[in-house]
Amino acid sequence: MEVKKVPRLASQFWPEFIRIKIRLIVLTQIAIAFVFGIILIFTASITDSLVLIWFISFLLLPVELIVGILFIISATRPTKDLLAAIIKVTGEQPTLPLPNPNSTKNEQTGFRDALQTIYELSASRDQEKTETSQTDSIVSNALDMTNCGFIALDKNRKIIYSNKTAPTRDSTDGGKEIDLIFNGNDTLNAWLDACAEDSVQDEHVWTRIPDHLPNEEGRRFFDVIASYHKDSASETVLTLIDRTGAYEVDEENLDFISFAAHELRGPITVIKGYLDVLEDELADKLTDDQPELFHRLVVSSNRLSGYIDNILNTSRYDRRHLKMNLSEDTVVAIYDTISDDMKLRAGAQNRLLTVALPDDLPTIAADRASIGEVLGNLIDNAIKYSNEGGVIRVTAKVNGDFVDISIADNGIGMPENVVSQLFQKFYRSHRSRETVAGSGIGLYISKAIVESHGGKISVRSEDGHGSTFTVSLPIYATVADKLKAGDNSNEGLINEGNGWIKNHSMYRS
Amino acid sequence: MPIKTILCIEDDRFIGEMYVRSLKKAGYEVDWVVDGNDGLITARNKQYDAILLDVMLPERRGTEILDALRGGKEDLIPKTHVIVLTNFQQDDESRIAMQKHADAYLIKAEITPKKLISVIEKLEDK
Repeated sequence: MEVKKVPRLASQFWPEFIRIKIRLIVLTQIAIAFVFGIILIFTASITDSLVLIWFISFLLLPVELIVGILFIISATRPTKDLLAAIIKVTGEQPTLPLPNPNSTKNEQTGFRDALQTIYELSASRDQEKTETSQTDSIVSNALDMTNCGFIALDKNRKIIYSNKTAPTRDSTDGGKEIDLIFNGNDTLNAWLDACAEDSVQDEHVWTRIPDHLPNEEGRRFFDVIASYHKDSASETVLTLIDRTGAYEVDEENLDFISFAAHELRGPITVIKGYLDVLEDELADKLTDDQPELFHRLVVSSNRLSGYIDNILNTSRYDRRHLKMNLSEDTVVAIYDTISDDMKLRAGAQNRLLTVALPDDLPTIAADRASIGEVLGNLIDNAIKYSNEGGVIRVTAKVNGDFVDISIADNGIGMPENVVSQLFQKFYRSHRSRETVAGSGIGLYISKAIVESHGGKISVRSEDGHGSTFTVSLPIYATVADKLKAGDNSNEGLINEGNGWIKNHSMYRS
Repeated sequence: MPIKTILCIEDDRFIGEMYVRSLKKAGYEVDWVVDGNDGLITARNKQYDAILLDVMLPERRGTEILDALRGGKEDLIPKTHVIVLTNFQQDDESRIAMQKHADAYLIKAEITPKKLISVIEKLEDK
């Protein structure tokens, strides 16, 4: 059986040591007395005074024992005092009385200096400890007073420190976990995964991250700054700036916007409806530039309708209500749903729209109406940010497990600092603020929609020479199993814009 | 089964008139009511081939009407196609509840009269 050796403490040394030494003295004295007695017997020097000899021997033995013990106690006293002082320095619970360095004896013998040195060592150590713990508590109190949250994570992503403001909740394993709801795929864990793979040091910023769902009490919004230092004790440090005050206004605006958008849809229904009806009924009656003017009405009403969809979807996305019904679809079929509208829009602004979508592309997993909205937004931007007579090219190709759909223009392009902020909500570049109308949510919601498909949206741009936006969507075959396993409620339905019609051949067979 | 008679339950006058005008022109027989109570009574008194049902209606919501007609043990309108037409972004729960009993669920702003007629034709074909 394995015997576990428990490390012993310095304070346990003395009792053991002194016990052994006393035992040694007692045994030695008894042994000497015994041997002395034997010698006397064998040398036949025992005479009539035998009784007297035994009496003297037995009387002497205890005296010798006592003297021996007193001697060892006195001889080891400095050692004992030094040990007691050292035990105090180590911080262990003292078991020996502490020697007084200023006692007359110690002063006389010079032992005082030795004890004094050890006590000073102990005092400076205590002071250091107090200072550190005082600094610790000052810092931690100060951090608890701030409006910012601070969280430190170790390399296993466990919280090792969080201040009061930090949004954390108790986890099931008795620890704490971060209480934040990140948008789509852009999560802290995803970033940490990426860092673990290829970074030694990195920083990342998220804005408008809520800690609760909408309508939950005490919902706060944070800007989150994460710093990553591979293999350091606090591998990840999060600084969370509570921006609830600033973003709450936006939230209220979104509530209002969401409500207003519903109201706006009523008149839009009538405008779009009658334009559609009148287009047929007035086909033969319009003359000169009237058909062109009529087209402008159609284009404008469709754009207005698109913007309202953007606003509504942004409001749904920010409330975590944006859900995608992914089904097998083709890029060509999706583009067909917006093709006429895009042709009209480009034509009305004197842009040349060329669409080259190969027929043999694999099918993709998509929510038709939402991807139509994304492509519409990107083409609309290409129109906005290019010049009269500019060319806008829509192309698609297979790229690994994805189909890449690209929208390229040879317009005004963007400098690098604009590109990095492009997909933020309400972001408008300085230049576009002055020259181009827009709300700054088109690209934000497009990114959200594409990421909800498990895809990616990216941009390549050169200042003054145009931009290319690329939407990558997963090939249906690569995600089909996952979609089927996810109890796709969309099964058996035919999508119709944002609504649907039941596929009756499947529904009532 | 061909669709000939249609009941339109729609409180917005402009939208109602627009649908009724186009559907009549396309040869359908259309009755139009503007509030939820009348809608439910009309739907129960006469058998229609299709019902266009708005959600945000006065007196009685579209959700309640659909529930009254199809939510019980017996489907009171087994031969009728129900097309829900709304501009209101319902929460998922109510939307899914309505989808269970409807044949189509459409956003009005996206459905011009021409598209509506093509949807009705699609339902006829099935």
